[in-house]
Amino acid sequence: MTGFATDLFANFWVSLAAKLALVATMIPLIGMVIGFAEMKLSAKMQSRIGPYFAGGRWGWAQLIADGVKFFQKEDLIPEDADRPVFKSAPILVLVGTVALFVVIPFGPGLIFRDLSVGIFYALAISSISTIGVLMAGWSSANKYSLMGGLRAAGQLIAYELPLVLAVVGSVIMAGTLSMSGIVEAQIAAGYPFVILQVVGFAIFMIAALAELTRIPFDMPIAESELVMGYLTEYSGFRFLFFFLAEFANMFTMSAIAVTLFLGGYWLPGIPESVLVFAGPVILIGKVAILSFVMIWFRWTFPRFREDQLQTLAWKWLIPIALANIVITAIFKVLF
Amino acid sequence: MTTSPSDTDTAAHPLQEYADSVAEAVGGTAEIHFDTVKVVVDPSNWVSAFQTARDRLDLVFFSWLSAIDWSNEVAAGDPLSEEVEERFEVLATVGDLTEGNRVTFSTDISKEKAEIDSLVEVYVGANWHERETAEMFGIQFAGHPDLSKMYLPDEFIGNPLRKSFPLLSREVKPWPGTVDVEAMPEGPSVENPEA
Amino acid sequence: MDQDFAHHLSEVAVSVELETPDMTLNIGPQHPSTHGVLRLIAKIAGERAFDVKPVIGYMHRGYEKLSEVRTYPQITALINRIDWVSGYANEIPFIVAAEKLMEIEVPERAQYIRLILTEMARISSHLIFMASYPLELGAATPLFFALRERERVLDLLESVTGGRFHPNFNRIGGVKPAVGSGSTTRKQIQDLPAGFFTQTKDAMGKVLDVCEELETLVAGNEIFLARTKGIGLLPPEVAAAYGVSGPNIRASGVKFDIRKVESYLPYDQFDWEVPVGENGDCWDRWWVRLTEIRQSASIIQQAVDGIPSGPLQAKVPKVIKVPEGQTYVRAENPKGEMGYYLVSDGGSGPYRLKIRTASFSNISILPWILEGILIPDIIAVMGSLDFVLGDVDR
Repeated sequence: MTGFATDLFANFWVSLAAKLALVATMIPLIGMVIGFAEMKLSAKMQSRIGPYFAGGRWGWAQLIADGVKFFQKEDLIPEDADRPVFKSAPILVLVGTVALFVVIPFGPGLIFRDLSVGIFYALAISSISTIGVLMAGWSSANKYSLMGGLRAAGQLIAYELPLVLAVVGSVIMAGTLSMSGIVEAQIAAGYPFVILQVVGFAIFMIAALAELTRIPFDMPIAESELVMGYLTEYSGFRFLFFFLAEFANMFTMSAIAVTLFLGGYWLPGIPESVLVFAGPVILIGKVAILSFVMIWFRWTFPRFREDQLQTLAWKWLIPIALANIVITAIFKVLF
Repeated sequence: MTTSPSDTDTAAHPLQEYADSVAEAVGGTAEIHFDTVKVVVDPSNWVSAFQTARDRLDLVFFSWLSAIDWSNEVAAGDPLSEEVEERFEVLATVGDLTEGNRVTFSTDISKEKAEIDSLVEVYVGANWHERETAEMFGIQFAGHPDLSKMYLPDEFIGNPLRKSFPLLSREVKPWPGTVDVEAMPEGPSVENPEA
Repeated sequence: MDQDFAHHLSEVAVSVELETPDMTLNIGPQHPSTHGVLRLIAKIAGERAFDVKPVIGYMHRGYEKLSEVRTYPQITALINRIDWVSGYANEIPFIVAAEKLMEIEVPERAQYIRLILTEMARISSHLIFMASYPLELGAATPLFFALRERERVLDLLESVTGGRFHPNFNRIGGVKPAVGSGSTTRKQIQDLPAGFFTQTKDAMGKVLDVCEELETLVAGNEIFLARTKGIGLLPPEVAAAYGVSGPNIRASGVKFDIRKVESYLPYDQFDWEVPVGENGDCWDRWWVRLTEIRQSASIIQQAVDGIPSGPLQAKVPKVIKVPEGQTYVRAENPKGEMGYYLVSDGGSGPYRLKIRTASFSNISILPWILEGILIPDIIAVMGSLDFVLGDVDR
């Protein structure tokens, strides 16, 4: 029986289908858990109760109810919209998110595909969702959407650079681009890279927030300025796609940060044999901490102005990240 | 709370001296209406009076501008108790930002030629007030940059605050008028010792 | 090809090449940050706005005309709806104007009650600003902090007047007996609900606490400072010429408060300061309002301590007729100078009632102050002017 199962999963198509099914359930699940956490945490921070009735206790079913509600809604498309682009934009955003899951190591060997250029792939793919945002903004035939889309494009250009440069420090220390390789390098070193890469980690998190368009960098949405930015014309399940992608992206970006800087699925003192089972739990725990910080920022900070964000990126983050690379490289050569 | 009679012994009013000095400076006549200094000027003198008020009397704060339709025929509300001369009275209040002085300037213009010079050159804030007055009373302000409608739809005809403009809802359904909805309390109200 | 034609062609080519048509952006009347139904038509080049044209009138209810067909007691109910965020404060200048014409001396206790409630209205209005302004800049949490304390103030207003937004509490000659104090058919009617003074002091302490919290949460935030300091500078001369009043002009450094110079309520009996800003930017307007909340809370605490005893109502005739005359009474409302030019002909209703509202003049400056600034700054500046559309359109 086990032999049969092993054989079955050794089959490329079967294992692909299984992995797809796993991702397909994981993304809504992660979206809902983080979404619910955001609702409850923001309520806590604002002396509110938050969702209360749905599901009977603590309103745990609130996001399920919300999801069902979105599917019931009419799928409105503005008359002047560029229909194919308008329709495909949310899918593209979600695809970018799904594709990121491929290279996240959940434990030793627990990775969908251990690419040798894993982190390179992750950074490339994470930009795709911004193209989806730009498409959404452009195709909506709405001036507010257009401005939101353009802001997102400006943000992408400004923040992709510090994001990539911040990663380079860890990559130099690990000597590999493979995501699981970076974790193994941290296990071998015996400490997470954040200890030597504090600067890189900070820049990565700031740039990741900008990439996720969350407050204080939510200018592409900027409810009080652009109504809902590129989301203005979306409703129903297409809006839900953006919504899910936002929360799932929070997970993936945090997971990448954890992998690169915080030791990924590894905790000091835990033997490798246990890590196979404990790894995903440890990773998710670390991701939860980073997600909490993001939610905390979201409900504390006002938003920057677009030009202030550009100043921050070009005048501060990029030079600091470059300096970080140089210093890391020097240390790598010397020691 | 100080109150003052409007017509008798105005000389005793503490504001009289100030009112006279303003009237003298702008070339008008001073009146005091219940602590309100009102200076009546000639329409030809309208803009220059404000020029003087702003530059020499330090009345730099533009409060408001509006008009009164003095009319013997009213389509809405109570008619005047005695006959008046049919006219528009244009009023504008300016004040200072130090002592708390304020002066209401007033001038009469005829209904046939309801036009007066605009104050926009002196107080730029008069812009919207004049637009409103033009829309509501049909008074033209010469030299105003844009007297387009402010509140009402563009195709609206009429000047609602003219006394000749009927209040349509009242035509359709009469208002209970002087009937007070709430009965006045019978006994005198007293302090609450528990408050 | 002759030279003229060539020249003409080159001109055409240049004009075709250089002409980048401006985008016209319609902000409002349905927009999250226009505080209701204000509409701005702006020419946009990139994110910079030029030639901003405010369109108002979506909320015009014609109160000046309606007052001409109503009796004085009925008008009080109407004018509550002008600036609905501080409905109580709207009543004061009108009632005082009518009392002036009738030459009524209002009992001191009634004046103190009016003063306490007016300052409560000011606190609740400013707390709304404290709630909504950071929200417009993207910070959602101060909203709940400010609204929570505003609830206490509204509860107190309700306990006395029976209304949270539109109290309609003033009567010519005094104030109405309080809502919780007994039925109107009883022989004796008590003026304030039981425990009002202790609850008020308690609430004022809470309001002062939330000011501290807001100062840490909002003013302590670098992003908030970056978004407001130096944005929307308003020089005092320009503000005065446009008739901008209240906290907005005080933020520009003008130490002028109508409560200090006019005697419509006994403000001179208390010890309080007029806060002024330095630069007249968004930050100063925020700070002046925060400080005004503290000052108002202090005034209320002093008034509660010093409230005299005595009757609530002066002797007034049963049917109110205001003698012939005219007067202008202005008051320092939360939004700025609010005044009524009351013209009476001796009837039961005014012949003409000109309503001067603060927000109308305050937003007439928008075309000037929004010229050439970025869209996010438009929101920041508009929010900092703190207007209410009911107060603009009347």
